[in-house]
Formats: sequence, structure tokens, C-alpha cells
Amino acid sequence: MAANAIDQTRRMLSLVTYLRERPGARVADVARAFGVTEAELISDLDVLPLCGTSFRGGDLLDIDTDGERIWWHNPDDVAAPLRLAADEATALLVAARAVATLPGLRESDREALVRATSKLEAAAGETASAGDRLSVTFESEGGVFAEVDRAISERRRLWVRYYSPARDELTEREVDPIRLFALGHTYMEAWCYRSEARRTFRLDRVAEIRILDEAAAPPELELRDLSEGLVQPSADDPEVVVEVGPGGRWVAEYYPHDSAEELPEGGLRITLRTPDPASLKRLALRLGRDGHIVAPQDLADSARKAARAALEAYEQV
Amino acid sequence: MAIAKAERLMNLALCLLGTRRPLSKRELRGSIEAYLEANSDDSFNRMFERDKDDLRELGLVIETVENLDGEVGYLARRDSNHLPPVTLDAEEAAALGVAAKVWQQARLAGAASGALQKLRAAGMPEDVNPYESHGALEPRIPVHETAFEPLMLACRDRRPVVFDYRKATAARPETRHVEPWALECWRGHWYLAGWDRDRGAERVFRLSRITGKVRSRAGKFTAEIPDVVTVRETVAGWAGEITDRTALIRLRTEAGYPLRAKAARVRELGDGWDELEIPYGHGLDAWLVEFGPDVVVLEPAELRADVVDRLRAVAKG
Repeated sequence: MAANAIDQTRRMLSLVTYLRERPGARVADVARAFGVTEAELISDLDVLPLCGTSFRGGDLLDIDTDGERIWWHNPDDVAAPLRLAADEATALLVAARAVATLPGLRESDREALVRATSKLEAAAGETASAGDRLSVTFESEGGVFAEVDRAISERRRLWVRYYSPARDELTEREVDPIRLFALGHTYMEAWCYRSEARRTFRLDRVAEIRILDEAAAPPELELRDLSEGLVQPSADDPEVVVEVGPGGRWVAEYYPHDSAEELPEGGLRITLRTPDPASLKRLALRLGRDGHIVAPQDLADSARKAARAALEAYEQV
Repeated sequence: MAIAKAERLMNLALCLLGTRRPLSKRELRGSIEAYLEANSDDSFNRMFERDKDDLRELGLVIETVENLDGEVGYLARRDSNHLPPVTLDAEEAAALGVAAKVWQQARLAGAASGALQKLRAAGMPEDVNPYESHGALEPRIPVHETAFEPLMLACRDRRPVVFDYRKATAARPETRHVEPWALECWRGHWYLAGWDRDRGAERVFRLSRITGKVRSRAGKFTAEIPDVVTVRETVAGWAGEITDRTALIRLRTEAGYPLRAKAARVRELGDGWDELEIPYGHGLDAWLVEFGPDVVVLEPAELRADVVDRLRAVAKG
């Protein structure tokens, strides 16, 4: 609640300035410009007439609305644009610098970002310096990124050779790209004709890419909500249980899981779901003495078998 | 009914911005309805102090001035609170629109949209849909770590902190006293660089390994803050990306695309095997074990022994 009051105050302070410049502004337009719903804006407009320099002296804000347009009747000097707060300057500057690091970003977009960043730094003055204490780098394969970006804007189909670590294999596919996004790594969401389904491809696993002449025609799909995280296991997926020692705790950081129980001596018992447990054989091998698969049994067996086969090879070479 | 906090903050802000002479606490209490309703001096004082802090967080510069009678007064001068003129064109505005959407952390997301609102109030062009001009690009900065916000504030305000930290392979967390310098996000994970007071040296911490609360400590930093704080180099070293040696391995012809992509040299051996020379950094042993019987390490002997050791652990199950 407290955080909402802060955001609302912040918004109302800017609203006062914004509305002065636009007499008769439409509720719908203002709501969009401020990134709020019309209902939220109306509740701001309910509060504003109660605010002013003195509730008894009568110097209250005189802002009213008929639900469609907003009117403002105050003297001009109430509402000069306010300076950026340290957190505001930091949030916007760090984000702008991060986006500008995306390899493969269109040059015109990068230039616009760089120009905007330096204007913002100038306007923020000293408050901009706290932004140096926060930084973000997006990683991506520049060439692949640029090709996907071009295919999306020209609505063309792509051919890719894609590496799947779970199977340690390269597959060739034709895909219709839908969007590019960055979440630590950079990804393309696309309709994949090989699997006849929507798939997410990590760009650093694209071994080769070509734009085809064919037009892209992905089926109408609702975009996935990325705030839920990239991997969204379903409740029907088989369960895998992994026990790790202190050296294997990273598993809980990298794999979305249902639960992670503490074990004595700093270990964890991690329960997770995946549509394809066989894909975790690599994890079982990687863990070595830092952990093992408890269930399912055939996954544990396949890892053991792979390790024995590998050891045999060492006796020969 | 209690008056909403946003209304109270708004009134205080307008009073302080609207006055040309410092206003005493008494005067402010007499002008703002919510303060009049406070049922004791104590509760008014607490409310007033908190509100002033909140407005300062929102970027307001509030001066404290003592008048001739020794009475303390407050005001927010126009010239120190005014946003200097910023002229952004439509492209720059659209670029900032994309940047403002990248934060997935509530405080920074609120601050970024607050910054946009102030800029729009000051006349920045409004983009209809930022994604239209930017193709389908959606960068997101993930923040899952609860330690992020307190550390961000501590870096901003240069406040020492204390937290419990579990090193990658440690069974138990250990208390660390740190002067936090900077936070950096790399490959979707956040890291803190700072001065470790217990070790008397610069250290990098991974936020996901901080257990429990981050607590602030009184006092100033004791170590000098370097001009350039390098987080990524340290983390890249952990990730095995800094290499000064090479390893020689055998790899099955169809397998191990990422190993091939990193190889300095690939030689066909026939019989379904190739020989590869690859960079050898931290963590290579764990990675090679993932390929099971498709990889045999030839040199150096130390790496071969590590891999065999790991395979034995898995084979034993």
C-alpha cells in the first residue's frame, strides 16, 4: 500500500503539470500517456481537487472532469515540471544503457538511445551519478539478432540450424519469428514448422541462420507473459527429484522447481517438473559427487550407464 | 475516515513548492488537513518526518532553514526543483519508452515510469506504441533476488551492510561485512562488488547466495572506491571464460557442437572420432562430463583425472 501511495503521488505531481499544458485533454489519452487505467486516472482526479497550498485558504487545485475530458482552471505558476529523482534517473538511464548494449540492435535505434541518454544525463545533473552504481549487460549473438530482427520487420520465414543441449544435437528447422526478447540471454519466440508448435530459441544456440524468400505466416497466438519466467512447467509434467550437496546448490538457482528442502550439511532435496526427464541426464552427469538423481529411476540408471560407458573409453585411450 | 497518504503527501509537496518563504512545522500543520487530524504532537511529528523523507525519495529538494527567532522552516525552492529543459524528438522518446519497460522490479519499474511521466509533463513527444518503431524487441531485466532492493539503496547512499552469504560449495552461510560499491546484472543474475571488511579486500558476491536479510550499518565507507569497478571480469573467470591453457580431447563426429564452436583446431581421426583443441578454463571438467561417452580427454593429465573422477562418482550412483 505504501508503495502505491508513493507511485500515486509521483504520478499526481506530474499530472498537474501535464494537464496545465493540455486544456480539455481526453481521459483516455492521459491514461495512456501515464501508463494507468482510466479508473486509476479518475481516482487521481478525485484526489487532486482536495490538494493545494492551504485547504482553508481555498488555494486548492481546480481540476475537474466530466469523465471524458479534463479541465484545469488554476493560475499558471502552480505547476512547473519537476526535476528527476535519483531513482528515476537511475532506472531510466541504466535501462537505456542496457538496451543500447544489445548487439544487433538497429543502428538508428541505438543512436536514438545514445542521444536520449546524454540529454537525460544533462537534465538529471548530479542525480544521474547514482546510475553508475548499477549496470546490466544483455548477451546475444549480434549477427543472429540482426537477422531475426530483419525477418520480423520484413515478415519473412527463417531457416535455422539450432543446437539442443538436452539431446546434444543440431536440427534444421523453418520458423516464423514472432518476437525477440532479452531475459539474461536473448531469445526469439517463433512458430516452428518442425514441431508444429510455438518454440523459444536462445540466440547463442543458433549455429546458422538464413532469411528465406517465403513470407512468414505464423498462426495467431497470444504472446506469453514473460513476467512469469521463461520456463513454465505444467502440473502434468513428470516429477524429478534431485539431491545435492553444498556444491550442487546452484541447481536450485538455474532450474525452476516446485520445492527445495534443506538437508543436513548444507544440501538440498530439489523437486522439479519437466516434460522430458531424459533431458536431465546431462545434469546428472555434471553433478558428479555433488549430487544425484533420486527419481525417476530410469533417469538415474541412464546417467550411471553413460558414465560407465565413458569410463570404458578411458581404459582404451 | 483517515485521509489517504497520497493526498497528504501531495498537499505537503504543493505547500512546500508554493511558498516563497520557509514554512514552520506549526504553519504546515495548520494548513494540511491530515496533519490537523493527527491526535498528538508525537504522531504528527512522526508523520511529518516520514512524509518529508518520502518526498525527498520522489526527488523533491526540501531545504531546512532556521529563521531569526530560531524557528525551523521548510521550503522547496522552484529553481532547485525545476527540471532543466530537455528536448527529445519522437525517436528518442520512443527509445526511452522501450527502456522504461525493461525493469521487472517494482521499485525501479515505478521509478522508470515516474521519469517518463515527468518528461511527458515537460513536453516529451508521446509515442503511440513504442514497439511499432522498434520491431518486436522486448528486453527485460529480471530481478528475482530479494537482496536486490536493499543493496541498490545501500550502493546509492553509500551505506555499509551486513549479510549472511553462502559460498558456492560451503555447507553453511557466513556473516560478511561489506561496503557495497556497484551492482551488475550478467546473464540474468545479479552480482555485488564491494569492499569485504572481514577479508580486507575487494570481493564480488552473487545475490542469489545471500541468505536472510541485508542489514544496514551506521558509519561511512573506510576503503577508497575504485574509479572502475569490475564485476564482469571476475564473474567471467568463475564461468570459465578466462582461459590461458588448452586441452586436447576426442569427440564423436556427430556430437558436441558447442565444443566445436569453441575449438581452436579440429582434426578428423576416422572411426567416428575427431580430435579437438579447446580452451581450458575453470569448470571445463564438469562441462565435459556432460557429454558422457562422446568425449575422452587426452591432455592435460590433470583435466583427464578430474573428468575420470567425476565419471566414477556418477557410475557409483
